[in-house]
Amino acid sequence: MSENKVYILFPNHTEGLRLSSTLRQRGIKYAISPTPRSLSVCCGISLIVAEEELDIIEGIISDTGVLIEKIAKVPIKKDWQYRGS
Amino acid sequence: MADYREMWRSLGMDLETHDLLCEALPEAFGGVYLTQENRPQGMDFYDFVVSEIHGVRPAELIEHRKSGGKVFGTFCVYVPDEIIFAAGGIAAGLCGGSQFWVPGGEKVLPANTCPLIKASVGARLDKTCPFFLAADMFVGETTCDGKKKAWEILANEVPIHVINIPQMKRDADIDFFKGEIMNFIKVVEDFTGNKITPEALGESIKLINDKRKALQRVYSSRKSAPVPISGKDALLVTQIAFYDDPARCAQMANKLCDELEERIQQKQGVFPENAPRIMVTGTPMAIPNWKLHHIIESAGAAVVVEESCTGTRYFENLVDEQGTTIEEQVKALAERYMKTNCACFTPNPGRIDDIVRLVEEYKVDGVIDSTLQFCNLYSTESYLVKKELVDRGIPVLHIETDYSDSDYGQLQTRVEAFLEMLQK
Repeated sequence: MSENKVYILFPNHTEGLRLSSTLRQRGIKYAISPTPRSLSVCCGISLIVAEEELDIIEGIISDTGVLIEKIAKVPIKKDWQYRGS
Repeated sequence: MADYREMWRSLGMDLETHDLLCEALPEAFGGVYLTQENRPQGMDFYDFVVSEIHGVRPAELIEHRKSGGKVFGTFCVYVPDEIIFAAGGIAAGLCGGSQFWVPGGEKVLPANTCPLIKASVGARLDKTCPFFLAADMFVGETTCDGKKKAWEILANEVPIHVINIPQMKRDADIDFFKGEIMNFIKVVEDFTGNKITPEALGESIKLINDKRKALQRVYSSRKSAPVPISGKDALLVTQIAFYDDPARCAQMANKLCDELEERIQQKQGVFPENAPRIMVTGTPMAIPNWKLHHIIESAGAAVVVEESCTGTRYFENLVDEQGTTIEEQVKALAERYMKTNCACFTPNPGRIDDIVRLVEEYKVDGVIDSTLQFCNLYSTESYLVKKELVDRGIPVLHIETDYSDSDYGQLQTRVEAFLEMLQK
């Protein structure tokens, strides 16, 4: 079990949706997520992917030419509690 | 990342304070939504909308304004969006569902005002929500005293038109509401500079009906056991429907339904078939208020229907599309909107009938009647809701809550005890 959440950030949402669509077609798990503030000052879409599948995903990014801003790992918080946002 | 800061600045937003909201959202959404297992793929669209919540749609509204169009911010399911779209305007639901905006509202409103009103006013006055700042006109209504007075405060910010909603449902009241719609047509025509023709209104009636049909289809899928979509996800679909483009809303909801219907065929669910099935009734849950659904579903029960303004009240009943004159169309609109059963009406037996009918249709095991703090109307009506349900032997739990997390533990305990009682 990975200790990190892996986020892929994009220059715009179109690129994020392009990658999500390719991952879906290839049966690779991902989640579309708001980008944590610690990774970017701009709100917007990022993809959370499994750390174990990162090599394959990086290959797909390179093959498809999807533009990404960066890939970042954030330690998983184990004590998350609901907060009135 | 798409940089929306310039856009926000151009709307006059307080970016520093808004940053705090941007910081809270990813964690809240991740904890409530992305921890769910086996979500429908079709929820991707809604996750995308939340991820870009203050970006993509506000940018569309700003583009619309640049091309001369008007944006109308609305707060209630009684506002006939059909009129706004028929005049080439855009209607966007603005109810505030975040604790983040409440202190801003409390600066000008009494503390004993409901959190929805406080958050809505706070979002505008603190300049931390692009939707509130992108609206050219607000459209209020008279569904409660708190809102009626809040409009007078918001009127200092943006032009506001208040629709007078009758408080009873006699024939004379429906006639009166027809008059209110005719008056609203005049206001919208004057403000947009566009004449509303029967053709345009006919198209717009169809547009909004199509959206309602798509949402009805989503809800219909929840009648199945096992349920193919969580209550949290269904709630998100409805919350987003309030401000998304109506045609896109219908398209994406229908796409989601194709998948949900396939899941039903395959008996694929997000909860075990024997999970308790819960109806949530009461006051609306504007985005990002996911508190109660999260508590219920984290305890292993499935929310299968919401009898609320962010639920069935929003899309049940269609407008008759046969009218060919403005008079006939307005009559059809008035009749449809007056079928919605809000606690602002007296008497309001239709709401109790709706709850009883939905319990049957959705095979509900227990009802949680939830009212926002200081909402006198729903809180008082809860007596009648409880009485009817108890008489019929349907388990019911009444709770009163707000947007904060201060009562989270207490609610968890009460909901878990209620679910345990259902399983005995």
